[in-house]
Amino acid sequence: MELESNSLEKEQVKGAGQGQPSPYASATPGHQPWTLTPGSAGVEWNSYRTDNGSVENGIPSISSYHDDQQTKNTAAFQDGRNVVSYASSVGANTSHDYSAYITNQNSTDPYPYQYQSQYYGYQHSSNDSSHQQVGVVQNTGAPYQPLSSFQNASSYVGPTSYSSTYYNPGDYQTTAGYQPAAAGYQSSDYNNQTNLWNDGNYVPHQYSNYSLPDANAGQCSSTATVDAAHYQQQYGQWAGYYSQTASDVMCAPGTEHVALTSVSAESSVPDFNPGYPVVNSQPPPPGTTSWGRDTTSSGFPSLQGKDVAGYSQNSNWQNGPLVFAKQHGSQAPLHFQQTLGSTPPSYANMEEQQKMAHAQGSHVRFPSSNQVPQNFRPALNPLPTLEALRASKIQIPTNPRIATNLALSIPKMDKESSARDAASTPAYINVSSSKPSSKLSSHDSAESLTKQDFFPPSIRAYVERSFARCRDDAQRLSNQNLLKEIITKASTDGTLFTLDWDTEPLFPLPTTSFDARNKGSPQTSVSLSPLHKLRRSPSRRTKSRWEPVVEEKVVDKVAHLTHVSVDNTSFNRFRTEKVSDVARYESKGNGWNNTKFVSSQQTSSNRNVQRPAKKPRFSDSDAVQNGSVSSDSDKDQDLTKYHSSAISLANSPEERKKREHRSKRFEKGQERLAEQKNYQPKALRQGGGRNRRSNIPLILKNEDGPKRAVEDIDWDSFTVKGTCQEIEKRYLRLTSAPDPSTVRPEDVLEKALAMVQSTSKNYLYKCDQLKSIRQDLTVQRIRNELTVKVYETHARFALEAGDMPEYNQCQSQLKTLYAEGIKGCNFEFSAYNLLCVILHSSNNRELLSSMGRLSPEAKRDETVKHALQVRSAVTSGNYVLFFRLYKKAPNLSTCIMDLHVEKMRYEAVKCMSKSYRPTVPVAFVAQVLGFSSEDADGKDAGGVEDCAEWLRAHGATITVDGNGEMLLDSKVTSSGLYMPEPEDAVAHGDSNLAVDDFLARAAP
Amino acid sequence: MGDAHRRVGDFVRLFSDAFYSQEGSSLSPLLSVSSSSTSPFLLSVADGLAAFQDWGRLLKQVDGQLEDILSHLLRAVQSFRAGRFMDAYIAFEKSANAFLQEFRNWESAWALQPLYTIAYEIRVLAEKADWELGSLGKNPEKLKGAGSYLMKVFGALASKGPKRVGALHVTCQLFKIYFKLGTVHLCRSIIRSIETARILILKNKLIKPSFQVTYMYYTGRLEVYNENFLAAEQKLMYALSHCNFRREANISFSPLSYLIPVKLSLGILPTEFLIEKYNLVEYTRVVQALKRGDIRLLRGALLEHENRFLKSGVYLVLEKLELQVYQRLMKKIYMLQRLKDPSKAHQVKMEVVVKALKWLEMDVDIDEVECIMAILIYKNLMKGYFAHKSKVVVLSKQDPFPS
Repeated sequence: MELESNSLEKEQVKGAGQGQPSPYASATPGHQPWTLTPGSAGVEWNSYRTDNGSVENGIPSISSYHDDQQTKNTAAFQDGRNVVSYASSVGANTSHDYSAYITNQNSTDPYPYQYQSQYYGYQHSSNDSSHQQVGVVQNTGAPYQPLSSFQNASSYVGPTSYSSTYYNPGDYQTTAGYQPAAAGYQSSDYNNQTNLWNDGNYVPHQYSNYSLPDANAGQCSSTATVDAAHYQQQYGQWAGYYSQTASDVMCAPGTEHVALTSVSAESSVPDFNPGYPVVNSQPPPPGTTSWGRDTTSSGFPSLQGKDVAGYSQNSNWQNGPLVFAKQHGSQAPLHFQQTLGSTPPSYANMEEQQKMAHAQGSHVRFPSSNQVPQNFRPALNPLPTLEALRASKIQIPTNPRIATNLALSIPKMDKESSARDAASTPAYINVSSSKPSSKLSSHDSAESLTKQDFFPPSIRAYVERSFARCRDDAQRLSNQNLLKEIITKASTDGTLFTLDWDTEPLFPLPTTSFDARNKGSPQTSVSLSPLHKLRRSPSRRTKSRWEPVVEEKVVDKVAHLTHVSVDNTSFNRFRTEKVSDVARYESKGNGWNNTKFVSSQQTSSNRNVQRPAKKPRFSDSDAVQNGSVSSDSDKDQDLTKYHSSAISLANSPEERKKREHRSKRFEKGQERLAEQKNYQPKALRQGGGRNRRSNIPLILKNEDGPKRAVEDIDWDSFTVKGTCQEIEKRYLRLTSAPDPSTVRPEDVLEKALAMVQSTSKNYLYKCDQLKSIRQDLTVQRIRNELTVKVYETHARFALEAGDMPEYNQCQSQLKTLYAEGIKGCNFEFSAYNLLCVILHSSNNRELLSSMGRLSPEAKRDETVKHALQVRSAVTSGNYVLFFRLYKKAPNLSTCIMDLHVEKMRYEAVKCMSKSYRPTVPVAFVAQVLGFSSEDADGKDAGGVEDCAEWLRAHGATITVDGNGEMLLDSKVTSSGLYMPEPEDAVAHGDSNLAVDDFLARAAP
Repeated sequence: MGDAHRRVGDFVRLFSDAFYSQEGSSLSPLLSVSSSSTSPFLLSVADGLAAFQDWGRLLKQVDGQLEDILSHLLRAVQSFRAGRFMDAYIAFEKSANAFLQEFRNWESAWALQPLYTIAYEIRVLAEKADWELGSLGKNPEKLKGAGSYLMKVFGALASKGPKRVGALHVTCQLFKIYFKLGTVHLCRSIIRSIETARILILKNKLIKPSFQVTYMYYTGRLEVYNENFLAAEQKLMYALSHCNFRREANISFSPLSYLIPVKLSLGILPTEFLIEKYNLVEYTRVVQALKRGDIRLLRGALLEHENRFLKSGVYLVLEKLELQVYQRLMKKIYMLQRLKDPSKAHQVKMEVVVKALKWLEMDVDIDEVECIMAILIYKNLMKGYFAHKSKVVVLSKQDPFPS
């Protein structure tokens, strides 16, 4: 079978190669327009997108390519959705692509966009022509890849990473064990590394490589000769790109990442599909590379060109890739046949294959662009028979790996390559065989496809609405990306049809224009950020996506999880483990999507993959991600050993720094993705929350890079929407991003407030409950009358309990809330505020501004009037007035005045003892200083006794005259007054914190 | 087109010439963005910029840092001319930052003059930008931004060296911003470093008197807030006696409106002539109340000009004059009693006081009056004691009303 498959593949490849030229020719007419307007290509793409809702995704990616590959990638992030759209749009895209292709080829313009378009065109053409064409497309894509970092990545990766990791993978084929455990991970890591390496290689070697690739391409793909020519041109263009702009160069480094990302995307794919990812990741990178090599051969050539000296393997590689392509082609056909025979899904498979080819092509071409194509492909893959695509992809990856392996270990490589050629074909065969097993996945893909196909009009309207907001192309791109994400999420969540899209709020648009930034890696990062976010939670998302959608997936997952390594191995084994492959394929498909979407995403995905490799158990854990970066560098170092020359650039500390910086950027992006989490199911959201929190500082940090102002960050997008239905909730200070499942929505909070208001429990309980309500309000950014009510309630309780710190918090919040025009007991609280200012500080300026803020209406309010009178009494020291006001204080003003009574009395006694002679009746003092009860005659003994006690406590001398009336001896007293130590004073100054008091109050 | 090109080119050339030859006095007017509506040259440049869209090319000839300064400056000029003050401010701040960066590297203090201009311009532009933001319903925050920029400038100046004399000017601009923003507490650290560095040595020839006047004026106002009337009087008097009254702006800025309440608190009443000359009518009734002991008049004046007094921060100072008014009233009662019966003049019955206050339409009862008497005695505005039993204030026979 393997042999047959090989031959078939070869044939196909040939056919593809041939087909390619012909399609190109056919496409050329269309091309011309494209060529004419490379820059406009993006616009055109946009239009395409507009044409197809689903297409939009694909188109966006394209456009993103133009703007920033990364942005496109971000679009890819959205992949799940994008994919769908992609699939739907594939047809349209393909047609367009054709034209684009032609243009690209025709116009050897240095614009990557053209390439991209070409890619697309290729893909499309392939689609149009047939599955075989797909293979061709792949070929074409491959050349592109070489142009971009992909080529380098592939070749480099092949050599370096392969040698290290891939060799291990080499194990793939041979040692399944490796793969399961580390193979996938390694591969992912490697991929990353390779990407990086590729980048490095890119910059220095790209040109030479390109030329070489061209030659190689010619060599490699006999069928691809025409293509090679095209490729060469393209290469030249690419070279031009690289040379043209530093930003391009940056891209190259970025692309390194991107490439890595692409690789990682592959790997990320695995992430997405827990089990799958690993496999996917491994295969994809190789696959992509191999594809690039195969089809483009130029990419490989570049590798070869540079590497050639070092790597005779390159040729092998090329061969390998070619074989791969052939294999792909063959596989695709096989799949098609099989699928066709079996079911409609075969169609999907066909498409997927095509997509695969596209994706590969894209990968090959541009790191970023690659990603985009990848995205497209993923979309396509998921849409069509994911299985078939996956299978093809898997095969491809394996091939590349093999090729890389071959290249790396020259002896091995040679052997391997030869063996691989043979073996690879068998592997493909295996894939085909695996297809049946992958049917499950195909179902998934079918589902996704159906989803794409069945977009309800409301969604379309939603999409239109969102686009209506866009002011420029960059925004449109990002919008598209976001849309894709949203739609994919919705479809994965199963809410696509249940959501009320007409009322669904539009997501916030990134304000930054990607166009300017896209050139630079930072820019890309910005655009990518959303994608990154998505990726961040890739494992989760993928899980969520897959889990809910199909139970089968669970099985797959299990398989994946258990077989992640297995998958990898299976990749190696492709032939043997078809079923697993299928599952993997699916995962790959996802992974592809992910990877494709954003180069940065890819990187992140790579990280994810790497993480799993390091700690397979924690594949889900985000925390691992951080570690992954460092691990990458480590791996890179290893690689450097292998490829001193090529790697040297990549390994330089600066380069590493840059890389890390970039990777951080991606984390940023992931935060964006977190926004989308709102739309996602809880599990996803939670994951996102974690990411989000860690990412925010990063975002801020990274701002200086892309010069992103804080105001440009859309904080709204971080708002949480609670789902908790519990009315009672203990307050816990958040140490991480809020978890929507523990946050209560507004209606529940209202009940909670009513509960607190009517509860008979003590203040501590109320305070705790109110604080948790406040927290939920804050987290959800609810600022309305409910918020005011909550704060007012809390402020009142705090006043009653004398909890001034808490009161002050509420008061300051209320101040801003009232200032926003939200209604509440505005006057009451401005009166409290006034009283607090008067009584608690001698800050004249604050007092003046508080008074100055009072409106004329407020001044007519009784409470405020009272407060103003109190202020006047305090500033003039008029204790008589003060205590009169104290007795008729409205609302809770008494509580605030309470706090001032002691001081006021002391001042008053001081004053009286100095001015009154010879004595003052204590009864009078008691009456004036508010000791007596409220009766008008108020000379009841109780009040006087209290007063006498108080006076004595403060050092006053009291005498009793003949009538038994107590008199204050003012002359003696005036020199003996002192403020006694407050009985409840505590060392730390806050009596609320006194243990006894606390315990006493805590008791119900 | 050609003309526009030439004018912008002239500007660039003039600017870079002054910049490289370090001529502060010729550089300074070129930075004065806000005068572009009055200065014919800047006006023509602004129009030139509008007509000659591609002026960025002209900057290619100048090198890095200067290009930064110039490109943003020109943008600021252009935006200002177009009435887009927010954009003008943003651009000007960028330009100012670039300039400050260069300024730090210069050993000599030649660029103080242009820096003064920048400090002034950034404040004026920020005020205009905030006005624009406010009219758009947005948060006016640019003045705050200007404040933090000027703090940076202050940091660059306050260290040792010849640039130090410039710190006072920046301080004055900062005072203006902080008083406008109501963040007066931020002044404290500046004052501390000014006073410890002894930048402000009065009669220092290097420092323009106007800066010294401004500085004294604002620190005097701060003392008013702190009710530190003696220091406030001293500083405000300095500002008053040194400020140039020939400039119209100084009349509204007059330290008098703060000096009068301070002097009133110290018991010194202004002449009617002074109040009329400087149109300080809000104090007319306050002064009358003090002269007559008419508490009603004082409260009426406070009520009438409440917002004004609150804004300028003298409300509480004036309110405290109440006790002086009561003192005046007591004094009047005492004088009348002395005319009537010198032997019992020092015993003032509470009924009399209550009657007097009732006559003034003040709603007080005997307890409150007692309290006021106690406070007067306590605050040493009246010598004597209060006999509770007989409800009589017994005044000291010697100088019962110390001033």
